[in-house]
Amino acid sequence: MIEIKNLKKYFPIKGGFFNSKKGDVKAVENITFKIPEGEILGLVGESGSGKTTLGRSIIRLIEPSEGEIYYNDKNILKFNEKDMRSLRKEFQIIFQDPYASLDPRKKIFDIISQGLKIHTNMTKQEIYEKVSSIIKEVGLQEEHLNRYPHEFSGGQRQRIGIARALVLDPKFIIADEPVSALDVTIQAQILKLILELKEKYSLTILFISHDLSVINQIADRVMVMYLGHLVEVASTKKLFSNPKHPYTKSLIETAPQIFRKNKNKIILKGDIPSPINPPSGCVFRTRCPHASKDGKEANIEMGLVEVEKGHWVDRCATSCN
Amino acid sequence: MSKEKLLSVKNLKTHFTVGNSIVKAVDGISFDLEPGKTFAIVGESGSGKSITALSIMGLLPNNLASTDRGEITFNNSNLINLEEKEMRKIRGNSISMIFQEPMTSLNPVYDLSFQISEVIMLHQNKNKNEARKIAIEMLDLVGIPEPQKRIDSFPHELSGGMRQRAMIAMALSCNPKILIADEPTTALDVTIQAQIIELMQELQKKLGMSIIFITHDLGVVSEISDYVMVMYLGNTMEIAETKELFSNPMHPYTKSLIDIAPQISDEKREIKVLSGEIPSPINPPSGCVFRTRCPNASSKGSEGEIKMGLVEVNPGHWVDRCGVNCGHK
Repeated sequence: MIEIKNLKKYFPIKGGFFNSKKGDVKAVENITFKIPEGEILGLVGESGSGKTTLGRSIIRLIEPSEGEIYYNDKNILKFNEKDMRSLRKEFQIIFQDPYASLDPRKKIFDIISQGLKIHTNMTKQEIYEKVSSIIKEVGLQEEHLNRYPHEFSGGQRQRIGIARALVLDPKFIIADEPVSALDVTIQAQILKLILELKEKYSLTILFISHDLSVINQIADRVMVMYLGHLVEVASTKKLFSNPKHPYTKSLIETAPQIFRKNKNKIILKGDIPSPINPPSGCVFRTRCPHASKDGKEANIEMGLVEVEKGHWVDRCATSCN
Repeated sequence: MSKEKLLSVKNLKTHFTVGNSIVKAVDGISFDLEPGKTFAIVGESGSGKSITALSIMGLLPNNLASTDRGEITFNNSNLINLEEKEMRKIRGNSISMIFQEPMTSLNPVYDLSFQISEVIMLHQNKNKNEARKIAIEMLDLVGIPEPQKRIDSFPHELSGGMRQRAMIAMALSCNPKILIADEPTTALDVTIQAQIIELMQELQKKLGMSIIFITHDLGVVSEISDYVMVMYLGNTMEIAETKELFSNPMHPYTKSLIDIAPQISDEKREIKVLSGEIPSPINPPSGCVFRTRCPNASSKGSEGEIKMGLVEVNPGHWVDRCGVNCGHK
């Protein structure tokens, strides 16, 4: 349904003499992938890996620097503003922070109905019916529509955020860390809700998270991102049972688990490098436990290679193990 | 509960007056901390785990309600009755604390040298140069590269992981007997979280301090702690050795938390759910505070009459009275 080809996003850094360009923050580098209809595709990575920028670039909330984005075989980067606006109805986003993403001065009804007022010709009565049915879908009640966001708990606010995203009957949803700010028991409730709604409305979802165990529960397929690059893409089953990239392996081994099978874990040293000046060659080499002494990884160009059917790994990692 | 006690909390109650109502943030909890061990406190937001820590540190706001507050015994004195002057000698010295957000808990306008030396000069009677020297040693101890250079950095010049290391250096600079860590890894990325947990374990081995580790993450609990206390709405639901708690959980709340905790497995798992949200501490349910969300609650509502209180079911394994009975239904 959605196909991304060689997507790039650089943010220029300006300053100094005549505000000239000094460099780029290379947030997203040459990313290519497809999301088939009805799939939940997980996107996992640390802060600074570029996962949010990638998510927003796909629906042009951030304008990509280069690349192609096909939605039902049409390149949406060629769309003008008017075409794009009508398309926006079909793309929705659920944000991480349910406190910051709802306007505190608006009632819940106004928050949820705004999209309908902009995108449809529905009458007041129709809008009210639609909104009150959607609020029940997400587990709240009709009387909540007259309240303000501050009257709700974090979990309830996230339900409101989901209702706002669903009210326009979208086809594709980007869920950007929708459960990271929530308590474990609430997190489980929201994940279950997202899965139920996905079935009911036959949604396609790009689910962004830094938490591998959440991705493990919800995604059909997973992409692992590091410093603007995809380093591994596979089905959830393959990725967790047979991870190939040393970064993926370390993420799986170091995720805190109550019942750990594998006791020996490789803890990565150091921090994620700056995307202004990323390492040459394999961007992971500065933290890679398998990096060679001669530094040959600096000359290996990044790029995914298919090692098994549907299991893609960055070129450097196919030789370093 | 235990043989040797470094710190003993008995029937701790921390209530606040808010407007006309009383918020029972912590409502009668008891536990003992053994020397050199890690005691984890786990619970959802609003369960009272941070207030427990702040009660021990004597760092509570001034709208405390006048109730019998219980006892916190450390070095033969009850910390609750200590004068502020006396408490100041203990705080940062023999009991110190690290917080969740290293950016907001370090002072942005002072460099690390000033902030770490301050504690050392205050508690150890050292002059500025000696204190700076110790501060550099501490930064080295917590694994900050090039400590001589980094000592003059400001907090904004460090990454999240490095800031948390600097916080730990500051907390450990007076060689405390107890380190209270309030969600120290929650704001960090997984790879950095693993580094900080490893560091804390190494330092505990080297320096022998006890740790009270507060977290909402049962995965972290199982990696780091010797004992666990599960809190809910200001009350203790269950206390046990970590292994015992995970292999033989008794309270329905503990059981749900373990069931729900995201686990990595080879296959996509079914998502289990505990319905409802934690009630307001202004008006907690009568009797067993967990009954409004309890999957085992009876239809007659008999749990509304049960008085909360821990019962020892196995040696060292304590469960709230209501959970002992209903867990077996």
